[in-house]
Amino acid sequence: MVQVVGTNIFRYIFRGAARNWMRNMGSTAPALGSMTLLLFLSGVIGLSGLALYNLEQVEAGQASVIHIYIRDSAASSDVDALWDRLAQDRRVASVGLTTKAEALKRAQRIPGLPQLADASESNPFPASLDVQVKNINDVAAIDASVRNDIAVDPAYPTSYDQGAYQRVQAVLFGLAVAGLAFLALLGFVAVTVTVNSIRAAIHSRRDEVSIMQLVGAPRWMVRGPFVVEGAITGGIAGAVAGAVTFALAVTGIAAGSSSFAQFAPGITATVAALAAAIVFGAGLSLGSGSSLVSLRRHLES
Amino acid sequence: MRSIVEFIGVTRAYGTRLALDDVNLALEPGELAFLVGPSGAGKTTLLKLINREIRPTQGEVWVDGIPAHSLKASRVAGIRRRVGVVFQDYKLLPRLTAMENVALALQVSDLRVSDEEASDRALDALEAVGLGDRGSAFPHQLSGGQQQRVAVARAVVAQPPLLIADEPTGNLDIETSWEMMDLFADIAAFGTAVLIATHNVEIVRRLQRRVLTLVQGRLVRDQPAGRTGRLTWLASS
Repeated sequence: MVQVVGTNIFRYIFRGAARNWMRNMGSTAPALGSMTLLLFLSGVIGLSGLALYNLEQVEAGQASVIHIYIRDSAASSDVDALWDRLAQDRRVASVGLTTKAEALKRAQRIPGLPQLADASESNPFPASLDVQVKNINDVAAIDASVRNDIAVDPAYPTSYDQGAYQRVQAVLFGLAVAGLAFLALLGFVAVTVTVNSIRAAIHSRRDEVSIMQLVGAPRWMVRGPFVVEGAITGGIAGAVAGAVTFALAVTGIAAGSSSFAQFAPGITATVAALAAAIVFGAGLSLGSGSSLVSLRRHLES
Repeated sequence: MRSIVEFIGVTRAYGTRLALDDVNLALEPGELAFLVGPSGAGKTTLLKLINREIRPTQGEVWVDGIPAHSLKASRVAGIRRRVGVVFQDYKLLPRLTAMENVALALQVSDLRVSDEEASDRALDALEAVGLGDRGSAFPHQLSGGQQQRVAVARAVVAQPPLLIADEPTGNLDIETSWEMMDLFADIAAFGTAVLIATHNVEIVRRLQRRVLTLVQGRLVRDQPAGRTGRLTWLASS
């Protein structure tokens, strides 16, 4: 009995849907194309969003470190006093010292700075106390509390750049909003095109649908094949878009692993595979969901 | 005995126009009745109400004990399984053979029916309508009369208690029409109530079955079987 019911459901819902999908491929092509494009861009924008989020986290980590530059003539007791004061501050996570020699060594790794270092007879880079602040919002207060200290270089007291982190945040927020708006627009287009393609399928099979209804087919059996058709369209679009997204990400990772990791931190092959799977799932949902919307609008019970 | 179909004060309006106006009627099991009247009298509306394609604006429609007037859309299939329907234009699926068309009606209304059982019962139904040897033919390979017989086989294969037919002889020649009427009479003889909407005066007069006359949405005459009455609507059509 169960086998008979299963066979009949498979025949009337799944096999029927696959057959009709093949038959209506011409009218489905625009929906398939727009959905593939949407899902591919969703995958790329999603991965970019993740990379931007990770970048923002890196930026936040860097912005919460303040370098307090020590004047060359500062007495070591003054430097120690400042260090102790900072270390006892509850807002501070840690304090470290970068000597002038270490600062020079670090500068020589930065493009352009070795020439500047060589041009000077003495080491132009100051020693610094590197302070990791617990909360990024306290960096300004720490800066204000140290910049007039006797051990601090009065000309260039700290690395604190007021508003730098906020500017990064604003740019990232703008990018996120633009990306979401773009996705929403593409999503609307893809859903509309899919709804219309299912509507066309319903229209072209209206006789068949009405006959099925008249001979007593339950509603799910009349609607099921259309939902499966939508899911097939969405599934194919999702599979193609997911594969392209994965291939693009893996190619990027393989082509320049060090630079890629710098501008797209956290994007690994595993993350790309996960993104491809999400894109595929989104395709299935989008296709079947669009079909349901179309059925509710265009198919009478 | 419970009526197969019962209309109680049924009114159906399309906008401001009344397609049916306060109709009361009952149809018993095994009864064959004709529904007559001029074009636009409300015959098709009445059949659609029975098959729950539409709902009444007012009143109650009972089909085999089911309140079609208040039935949810999700439960309509339950009524459709109790009502076999035959149309003037046959409404067969062109991609399926005669037997597949008949078997489809069985399987979509009851998924527990296996392919083998569906084929056997479809073949029985086709033999009953005289088309036992044309089961593998596609609709376009059959004459109009044969296609209508396939439609009748499809309508009765699940043995519904009611068969409704909307102008079933409209596309058929007179000889084939008589054959169809013999078929409907046979079906009624086995206990299925049959309601036929028709314009064919000759058939209605000669068969002397119950005649329900609709004029401008009102049931103006309910003539019992065995009486040859005046078809009043002819004067107004």
